[in-house]
Amino acid sequence: MNCELRITDSQSPVTNPQSLRYRITFATQRTLAYVSVLELGKVWERSLRRAGMPLKYSQGYNPRPKLHFAAPLPVGCGSDADLLDVWLEVPVAPETMLAALADAVPPDLSVINVHTVPEDEAALSEQLVSAEYRVWLRDVPEVVVESVIVAFLDSDTLALAKRGRKYRGKTYDLRPLVQELRLEDAPAPWTGLWMRVRARPGATGRPDEVLKALDLTDSPRRCTRTRLILG
Amino acid sequence: MLLHRVQKPGRYVGGEVNAIRKSWGTTDIHICLAFPDVYDLGMSNFALAIFYELLNARPDVLAERAYLPAPDMIAQMRNAAIPLYTLESYRPVAAFDILAISTAYEQLYTNSLELLDLSGIPLRAADRDATHPLIVGGGHGTFNPEPVADFFDVFVIGEAEAVLPELIDTWRAHRHLPREAQLRALLDVPGLYVPCFYEASKESGALIPTDLAAPARILKRMLPTLPPTPIRQLIPNVEVTHNRAVVEIQRGCTRGCRFCQAGAITRPVRERPAAEIVESIAAILDATGYEEVALLSLSSADHSEIKPLLEALLDRFQGRHVSISLPSLRIESFSVDLADMLSQGRRSGFTFAPEAGSDALRRRINKDIATEDLLAVATEVFTRGWRTLKLYFMLGLPGETDEDIEAIIDLAHRVRRLGLDIGGRKTEIHVSVSTFVPKPHTTFQWAALADRETVERRQSLLRERLRGRGLRLSWNQYDSTRLEALLARGDRRLNAVVEAAWRNGARFDAWDEWRSLEAWERAFAETGFDVDAALYRPRAEDEPLPWDHLHSGIEKRFFLRDYRRSQAGELLDDCRDQCHACGILVNYPGMWTAEWECPEQEVGSRE
Repeated sequence: MNCELRITDSQSPVTNPQSLRYRITFATQRTLAYVSVLELGKVWERSLRRAGMPLKYSQGYNPRPKLHFAAPLPVGCGSDADLLDVWLEVPVAPETMLAALADAVPPDLSVINVHTVPEDEAALSEQLVSAEYRVWLRDVPEVVVESVIVAFLDSDTLALAKRGRKYRGKTYDLRPLVQELRLEDAPAPWTGLWMRVRARPGATGRPDEVLKALDLTDSPRRCTRTRLILG
Repeated sequence: MLLHRVQKPGRYVGGEVNAIRKSWGTTDIHICLAFPDVYDLGMSNFALAIFYELLNARPDVLAERAYLPAPDMIAQMRNAAIPLYTLESYRPVAAFDILAISTAYEQLYTNSLELLDLSGIPLRAADRDATHPLIVGGGHGTFNPEPVADFFDVFVIGEAEAVLPELIDTWRAHRHLPREAQLRALLDVPGLYVPCFYEASKESGALIPTDLAAPARILKRMLPTLPPTPIRQLIPNVEVTHNRAVVEIQRGCTRGCRFCQAGAITRPVRERPAAEIVESIAAILDATGYEEVALLSLSSADHSEIKPLLEALLDRFQGRHVSISLPSLRIESFSVDLADMLSQGRRSGFTFAPEAGSDALRRRINKDIATEDLLAVATEVFTRGWRTLKLYFMLGLPGETDEDIEAIIDLAHRVRRLGLDIGGRKTEIHVSVSTFVPKPHTTFQWAALADRETVERRQSLLRERLRGRGLRLSWNQYDSTRLEALLARGDRRLNAVVEAAWRNGARFDAWDEWRSLEAWERAFAETGFDVDAALYRPRAEDEPLPWDHLHSGIEKRFFLRDYRRSQAGELLDDCRDQCHACGILVNYPGMWTAEWECPEQEVGSRE
């Protein structure tokens, strides 16, 4: 896939020799679009171990490394620039980490940059406000997509069933979570769709839910999160 | 693609670290290694990991992997006319020269047909020609492959590490010939069974060569020392059954449990030296980043260097957040020591397999552990802080009576009381009771399967009596046991039944949620197959068995003597202390190495 690289930087990379908290900007595509967020955590843990990074582990009988993603990627969705914070036991130069990771990550994961951030900075998930997605749909005429988009944007509310068993029968309003939605150029035989959705705790729009509301779930698709926007 | 419509699509895309991508054009022989069940299980199969690394080490060979997709993905693929493909190059399986399918256990048989069909390959060897891949079966199931003999071209009998290189070379030298000539050439490879050159005798069912070049009996192949450990082990991107590094520390077992097929067919016992294990693990951890290593063997505590090995591992990998797991521990305080060393304060669950409830029945199956000793070891387990103890038993063992079931109940309650006294109210005892299947190439191969009435009555006895706080019971459905027994013990007549069952929709016979017993029942009716006659008749001692032409290296007369010992309630000691002349040493002359647990020469048994 030809994709323009847009790195999210609400703050410019800081170099803080005291901090052992590292922010990794990475991209996933193809095979790694099909993993869950828990599985992506394992992929990262093992990649960092292969790279020889001195990960900081939690205490207790079942120590876990400290890894924090900005937001889970929906299964089936790749990413152009996602964010992960990791904590180390001893300092490693960000460029050293970047080089070590380049050889250690799976084929469809690429590391774009690494920099340190202050230890006391808020968690990525708390800083996140919105996310942008590009969805390519196969063999769906552009006029069809355009008309459902217009109908979607014209509506004031859009009730969708909540996901998960414990919410059975409950609905939520998707409409206010979608900030922008429009057609985008895509090579044949694809029709491109672009959206910006809210990504606040308890108020997260998901591209597959938007497709559901647009009644476009049955077409083969490629989904990419192109940008995370931090507040 | 259709991946957005299926559960867990990450199973169907590959992209794993350490997957090997070779050039199709510059390699001469293309081999697909297939596990006929879902990725989650296939990725946990260590045999495939060995062959993947071994075969790809050859510059002339490209080896890729395929697994059977789950039913939802199969439906999508069939709907879109997408044939089964490999996970490295996404090439159709049918494009490969050789398709090796794991026949690790019997419940994979209908899945093997599904795998062939999904690949667009004709099911029966007789309907295939040299334009199709050569279909090779291998794994423990090949010690009686007759129920699926019509669907495979060749079976590897024994350790494929020893056979595959010769199979590949012989096939390559004859690849331009018609399939029958290829198969005839493969008769020259020791350890290969080419079923089309054998026919079942009408009277006895014994398999008899129909070609002068076909050996009357095929001796299993095995390696004098264990093969090198795969280092660059595959790391799945999605969660699988066993998501960890593996090192085989020992193959075979000297204990001689009379029901155990794995212990018999993997003899002689070969140990991997401790120093080699430590170095292998260090290399694997660097290459994989795994945080858990399993030390694989049939009886871990029997490795002669086990304690120094664990000490070395703990010392070497201290602070690296690596956990080490040791399956198959025996009921003895030494094993509790070992588990204690490894757990480092963590106490998940402890597992024992007494297999039978009473001392007398344990003597019959040659599991030499007295109830009082078992309780002493359980005391130790609880004292050291474990709160969950799993106890594995078998039901329907030869010579079992209702009293033996009472003994299971009694034992479980005594263990539970110990646990409650020592560990308090949080203690849990899990009793798992499977049903015994008399397997080929074991002492019990002549025994009949216990009948449904007996097994279900005993199961309900257990259900009534093993209830209450801190007790959990699980058991097998008799129908699935009956199917396993039928496929394990069947002869060539089963091929028609297996195919009919598959056509009726039987797949995933090991899966409670996907198995279709109804498809099997219809297959029995359609083919007129008498299941009861096949399962409930003990075999006569002089009767030919459908697997007599395949030789595990252990002599039939050894098993027969041992069967009589069982009936007399006699134990047979661990053979590392005293050779019982099972046949291994005479059948593999000149192969002995210091890594064997056998003495250098056969020592006559005490009889």
